[in-house]
Amino acid sequence: MPQTTPTTTRQTTARRRGPLRWSGIVARMWRRSLRFRTTLIAVITTVVAITIACVWMAAQIQSDLFESRTAQVQADAARAVQLAQEDLNSGQSATERSEADGLVKLAYDTLREQSRTSSVAYFRIDTAPSQIAPLDGGTSDLQNLISEGLRDRVSASDQQWWQSVELPREDDTPAPGIVVGQQLNVPGVGAYAVFFGYDLSDSNETLSFVQRTLWIAGVLLVLIVGLITWLVLRSVADPIIEVAETSRRIADGDLQVRIRVEGEDELAALGTSFNRMADSIEQQIRELAELSLVQQRFVSDVSHELRTPLTTIRLAAEMINDRRDDLDPATARAAELLHTQVARFGELLGDLLEISRYDAGSVQLEYEPTQLAAITEDVVDSMRQLAEQHETELRVVTPGGHNLVEMDPRRVRRVLRNLVGNAIEHGEGRPITVTVDSDERAVAVGVRDEGIGLSEEDSQHVFDRFWRADPSRKRSIGGSGLGLSIAFGDAALHGGRLEVWSQLGRGTNFVLTLPRTRAGALSTTGPVALEAADETGEETA
Amino acid sequence: MTARILVVDDDTALAEMIGIVLRTEGFEPTFCADGGQAVDAWRRDKPDLVLLDLMLPGKDGIQICTEIRQESGVPVIMLTARSDTTDVVNGLEAGADDYMVKPFNPKELVARIRTRLRTGTENAAADSMRVGDLTIDVAAHEVTRAGGAIGLTPLEFELLVALASKPNQVFSREMLLEQVWGYHYKADTRLVNVHVQRLRAKVELDPDDPKIVTTVRGVGYRAGAVTP
Repeated sequence: MPQTTPTTTRQTTARRRGPLRWSGIVARMWRRSLRFRTTLIAVITTVVAITIACVWMAAQIQSDLFESRTAQVQADAARAVQLAQEDLNSGQSATERSEADGLVKLAYDTLREQSRTSSVAYFRIDTAPSQIAPLDGGTSDLQNLISEGLRDRVSASDQQWWQSVELPREDDTPAPGIVVGQQLNVPGVGAYAVFFGYDLSDSNETLSFVQRTLWIAGVLLVLIVGLITWLVLRSVADPIIEVAETSRRIADGDLQVRIRVEGEDELAALGTSFNRMADSIEQQIRELAELSLVQQRFVSDVSHELRTPLTTIRLAAEMINDRRDDLDPATARAAELLHTQVARFGELLGDLLEISRYDAGSVQLEYEPTQLAAITEDVVDSMRQLAEQHETELRVVTPGGHNLVEMDPRRVRRVLRNLVGNAIEHGEGRPITVTVDSDERAVAVGVRDEGIGLSEEDSQHVFDRFWRADPSRKRSIGGSGLGLSIAFGDAALHGGRLEVWSQLGRGTNFVLTLPRTRAGALSTTGPVALEAADETGEETA
Repeated sequence: MTARILVVDDDTALAEMIGIVLRTEGFEPTFCADGGQAVDAWRRDKPDLVLLDLMLPGKDGIQICTEIRQESGVPVIMLTARSDTTDVVNGLEAGADDYMVKPFNPKELVARIRTRLRTGTENAAADSMRVGDLTIDVAAHEVTRAGGAIGLTPLEFELLVALASKPNQVFSREMLLEQVWGYHYKADTRLVNVHVQRLRAKVELDPDDPKIVTTVRGVGYRAGAVTP
């Protein structure tokens, strides 16, 4: 697909923004606001219900109106015909043309007077020729409206018949109307079919007025329902919103917040239960925190309490060790062992105390602008003697890390001593490579040995406290078993990380990555790669 | 001359062991195991240096240190089991010259004691020097302003002399730690900070606007210019 230029893309989005934004807002409110959603549902269902009701009512009223009007019209027509018939019957039969004309004229006038419509027409039914029978007559408009069917029906029986028609009007819009037909017998002349045309437009106006009223009432009702729902929901939703807000704040760690409880209804019950739950959570957390504090303090106190007797032992051990030349060989060796193990004990105690400080969260970093490369070289130099004792070559490669970066150099040195010491101990005498490098976000140092390495399972535990890869393995350097845990904690305190890669037979690589700035975030890949390339070629070199 | 050292520690085994170490090194130790009697013991024995445990029954080390400082500038080295708490800073602010974290080794202890007991002014450039409006008489261990003497502890005096003897040099905290406290490795710079504050409180006319010991931001301290 060809790429669109940025300009066209921008135009497209600009054009789309209007409707998109509105539908977006509605969709978001639908998802987020219970009140909006409920009100919308109430309004939509009310609209549907009212529409159905209005349509049904309008139809009902329409048919009622039509029926009653039709009935009235039929009654009017029947009465007019009856009166006209009575008039005709009371007179003489027509024998002459003029008499017949007079009779028909009389009947026609009566019909017009009594039928309440001016639109009246008549047709002679008998087809037999008659000399005296007057011709068809009446309102000519009406004559054209009468269908053959209606005429036939009326001619065939003396029942009343009617039919809906459209009455022509001056403005060309037809008005609804009805034509009623019935027979009228003119004595001496024969039967005539009489038709009355009635205009129904006034009842139609009534109908549209009623319908208009219905629709207005319907719209008002919808608005009122919407408003009522909105208001009612406010009294329900507001406490729920408060509960939601309060639980969010509690989740964020503000355990002190509570809900205002007013009244005794279900919402008040919800508030009360919520507050009770919050109380209970706060209580539990406080108890746990206290318990953990007590434990940390205990570890700290024990470490401190041990320090005074340890001081005495150390002073004594050192003194005896200083004079071991005066002792017999076995006692001299014992003095030496006492001396080194007391030192180790002190180290262990120090590490234990350090760990308890991490647990208590009371460790404060002392930041100083530091060159990672420089302190790495320092540390490696200080370890060279130990490396020589293990006949291990220490190599330092520093392509980067010469810039000043804020870190706690005391802790970083300790981490490095630990990593290099570990590498010397487990490196099997093969060369150890220490690499320092940096990128725009981080500085890192990797300590790579080519010793026996660790299995995948073991390498997951290297940072565990007091964990040892192989309990039976000979330890020549010692260490408390807490060193890597502390190193891990130090890295985390800096906002950095300490990672391990290891493979049996290939060795181990520890990489410490620190952010350049204090609050800086690390990317997933640091300046020094964790998984080192196989350097078997170098091994033999 | 045999220096007398008062060891104030409620742990009798440790006190005795420290005593053995001190005697081996040619000092003359005296002991006090109760905080409440420490100040009296100090007045009675008039030691050349006090080794003071911070946590004591009766009266704590910080209180004892404050009371001793009200009467004397005798060197005080605190012994503490906790280096991370505010105890150390409180102790230094109460006037302790130095501190040692248990478990310490005997050589370190003896080195600290010897540093504090030396006169510390052997390598001063002149018998008399000036800094700001102060006159320092090195031989007499006396600092005067307009003829009036200012009472400084030996450590404070040594700190002032160290700065005043090289008025053009900026001293980093590490340099001062080495020269005044005798540390040859990176130690706690709180020692320097606290004692500079204490020194300023005594020698500055306005400690908030120091003229005698000035701060060089990010580097350290230097002596102020000589004013008539």
